[in-house]
Amino acid sequence: MFNILWSLFYVLIFPGALFTVAVGLLLAGIDRKVVARMQHRIGPPIRQPLYDFLKLIGKETIIPKAANKLAFLGAPFVGFVSLALIMLFIPIFGFTAFSTSADMIVILYLITIPGVALIVGGSSSGSPYAGIGISREMVTMMAYELPFVLVLLTVAKKAGGVSLAFSMDAIANWQAANGSMLFQWAMIPAAIAMLLVIPAEVGTQPFDVAEAETEICEGPLVEYSGAPLGLFKLNSAMKMFVMSALFVSLFLGGIRTGFILIDAIIFVVLCIIVTVLCMSTIHAISARLKIEHLFKFYWTFVAGLAMASLILVWCGL
Amino acid sequence: MIQHFPVAAVMLLFLAAFLVEIFGSKNAVVRNVIALEAATISAVLIFALVKPILIDGQVISYWMGNWAPVSGYAIGIGYEIDALNLFFALLVCATFWLSCVYSIAYMKNDRHLGHYYTLFLMLSGSVLGLVLTGDVFNMFVMIEIMTFASVALTAFRNDSDFALEAGFKYLVIGSIGSSMTLAGVALLYGQCHTLNMAQISAILAGRMTPTSIMALGLIIAGFGVKSYIVPFHTPAADAYTTAPTSISMVFSGMVNKAGVYGMIRMVYVVFRAMDKSSVQMLLVLFGAATMFIGVTMALTQHDFKRLLAFHSISQIGYVITAIGLGSALGLTGGLFHAMNHTLFKGLLFLTAGAVLYATGTTNLDKVGGLSKKMPVTAACFLVGAFSISGLPPFNGFASKWMVYQALYTRAMESGNFVYALVTVVALIVSVMTLASFIKVTQSAFFGQCPAELKDTKEVPFSMQLPMIIMAVLCVAAGIFYKAVDKFLLNPAVNASFNVTKYVDSMIGEGTAAAAGLENILVNPVEFSFWNPLVWLVLFVIVFAAIALVILYGNFARGKVLEPDTANDAKYATFFSGEQEEFSQVAGSDLFWGFKKDWKGYYKVLVGLHNGNVNDYSTMAIIAAAVIVLCMFIFMR
Repeated sequence: MFNILWSLFYVLIFPGALFTVAVGLLLAGIDRKVVARMQHRIGPPIRQPLYDFLKLIGKETIIPKAANKLAFLGAPFVGFVSLALIMLFIPIFGFTAFSTSADMIVILYLITIPGVALIVGGSSSGSPYAGIGISREMVTMMAYELPFVLVLLTVAKKAGGVSLAFSMDAIANWQAANGSMLFQWAMIPAAIAMLLVIPAEVGTQPFDVAEAETEICEGPLVEYSGAPLGLFKLNSAMKMFVMSALFVSLFLGGIRTGFILIDAIIFVVLCIIVTVLCMSTIHAISARLKIEHLFKFYWTFVAGLAMASLILVWCGL
Repeated sequence: MIQHFPVAAVMLLFLAAFLVEIFGSKNAVVRNVIALEAATISAVLIFALVKPILIDGQVISYWMGNWAPVSGYAIGIGYEIDALNLFFALLVCATFWLSCVYSIAYMKNDRHLGHYYTLFLMLSGSVLGLVLTGDVFNMFVMIEIMTFASVALTAFRNDSDFALEAGFKYLVIGSIGSSMTLAGVALLYGQCHTLNMAQISAILAGRMTPTSIMALGLIIAGFGVKSYIVPFHTPAADAYTTAPTSISMVFSGMVNKAGVYGMIRMVYVVFRAMDKSSVQMLLVLFGAATMFIGVTMALTQHDFKRLLAFHSISQIGYVITAIGLGSALGLTGGLFHAMNHTLFKGLLFLTAGAVLYATGTTNLDKVGGLSKKMPVTAACFLVGAFSISGLPPFNGFASKWMVYQALYTRAMESGNFVYALVTVVALIVSVMTLASFIKVTQSAFFGQCPAELKDTKEVPFSMQLPMIIMAVLCVAAGIFYKAVDKFLLNPAVNASFNVTKYVDSMIGEGTAAAAGLENILVNPVEFSFWNPLVWLVLFVIVFAAIALVILYGNFARGKVLEPDTANDAKYATFFSGEQEEFSQVAGSDLFWGFKKDWKGYYKVLVGLHNGNVNDYSTMAIIAAAVIVLCMFIFMR
């Protein structure tokens, strides 16, 4: 009974749904503020994403005639559920919600689910704009998947030597013993590659081809309104947190004060730094890419960086 | 009593094949009853073997005509069933039974159905016989029957030129494969003076000669043709596309698996070559090429069935890679993926068949918006698509996880960078698989419904039933993967590594020990990625989400507005003033940036798939030569 209550607490409050939502909205707010300041604007208050979400919940939801109702309304919830689940598998320094060997492959696949949910939801609305949008979303997904996979394999190899290759716990323990991954010089190219994967996964400015408001009216979201739209916006805020959390636990782990609260605060601060570094800064200084350039960029430059790291690590560095 | 079951199951199918032709060529009811009854009884006979073999761990051997070995040499044809055969036999039975149920409604508008069921039962019987036999020459005979039944079924709808062309390609390449197997079998016979697998295994134990290496190379190439690994895959795409869909499902569900089974049986049990690093590397590289080329070809297809055909090739690549690793985890993953491939690819072919049945076309540029007309088919399709793309918690995820884990563990253990690269390929192929199924989702089931398909109807229940069964199995195998491993995979893996029991029960106690065969201890695979507690958690979250849906449907301040009047512009899709019929995003329009960046690659690849049988044969023969050469050069 007690165990079930704890699991419920983990799932629904910390580090599951509520924590992810709260930090995600915080990161989204900070991101908007920082971008605005970099562009010499005042920018919205940090609470603005929360206000937006609450406002959208209160609006009416229109289901278009051509839409498949179940897929159209269900997709944002599926995305939400899987995003809340991912945080259970990412160790917050020493702490994981469940003492299993949480696994990179599980995380890799769970992270694709929100993207798939967006695609299925957009596709089910029957709009040609959504059709173009999901096509681009899918190409983006294929583009960043290669460097992403290479980065994960590099980290696994560096921390490896255990019976199962992809354990997140092994990585956390390795970092606790040897210091953060980021301070291994062979890992630096992989870290840069991962920093470039994050904005594509989240879909922020130079890599937001799938939702390009100015050309295809937000692509998959074009027919969405009201609460489902709000939920999709919330999902992308949560994705910011999940992806930066993944970066922190892969490359900046190893800090263990022993107090979970302090650990969590340090973790969130590091996530904010990662967000500002890889999303806000790049957003503020660059304009949207074309889809074919995006694909080429990820499969040559970013994958090259990750591959360099993998080879270095393979040679024992 | 029970030792007669396997041979009875095979004979029943062959017998029914002739009975259908004699009594059922005119009367549909008689025909269906004979076919369905034969399929059901033989499936029941095979399923009755589950308890003695998989649970109690027996090995059943059966000598045809009671021709028992004379002075230690097997002279008759023997059937021998251990956990490995039975695993594949179960897949075969499940496939042909479901296909038979599906055929009844699906094929009812075709002509010459007597021939159809005759060939169908011949094919089922031959694959079952291939899987159950313990005799290499009998295996070759079954391959021949299988190939010719497949060729005839590929060209069954012979009013289209395309079907005849596909049948011809299949015939030529399939015969090349059969000939290579025959040559390998002949060499084996010359070397060992026996055709019994158990005995060959005992004779060859630890004594690989140049002749047996040649035989192994030829047999791997021969079964490579049957399981359509690249570059032997060329006839597969056409065959899967033009055959009636119930047969496409049989091709990918069991004809493919027969090749995989043969490969495992030969490499692991007969030659015991799985610990040779050259064989491992060969199979892993062929597997990697197969999955990558298969999936990249699938991405550009705009015919539903052709796309599935290339995916079939690609998924077999995973299986070959995994079994090629020669580790317990790899083989477990390979067998699990083979099973899952039977389930989800069968399911996907059935949904393609349902689309063809309901709309008359499988061209993805011409269909659309079917999810509202055919909700059951669409839901089943999505389950299949998510399974094949390996999204958790569907079955493809569990098996792919094992494959990745086995590959990368091998890479780290051996320090061989090639295995790491193959891991990357496997992971990338998975996302490309997802991409091409998103394409089908978008262009067939979602999007706008073309005017000519406005009155499409859902398929009849007898066609829905196999789809629903397979969809449920896909989800169940993903969630209860531990039970699957315990009762199906682990016995099969143990059977392939530990051959002493197989040899002893066939040839006589003590043969294995005399030949120096030893058991290799197989530790059970350790799973820790997905425990039941987490599953409970998942359930709670999903439940909470459903509760939320209800909440926001009824109690949120905003209302959910559904289209009640037909012509309210509020509910129309936004086309920015363009006419609706000019605003379709069809299958061929998707993934533009990707296709542009890969133009050079596709130019080469499409050039290789030029449809010329001469070129295909050349490719197959060169590949076979390469396999044999690699065997000779690198075998240590």
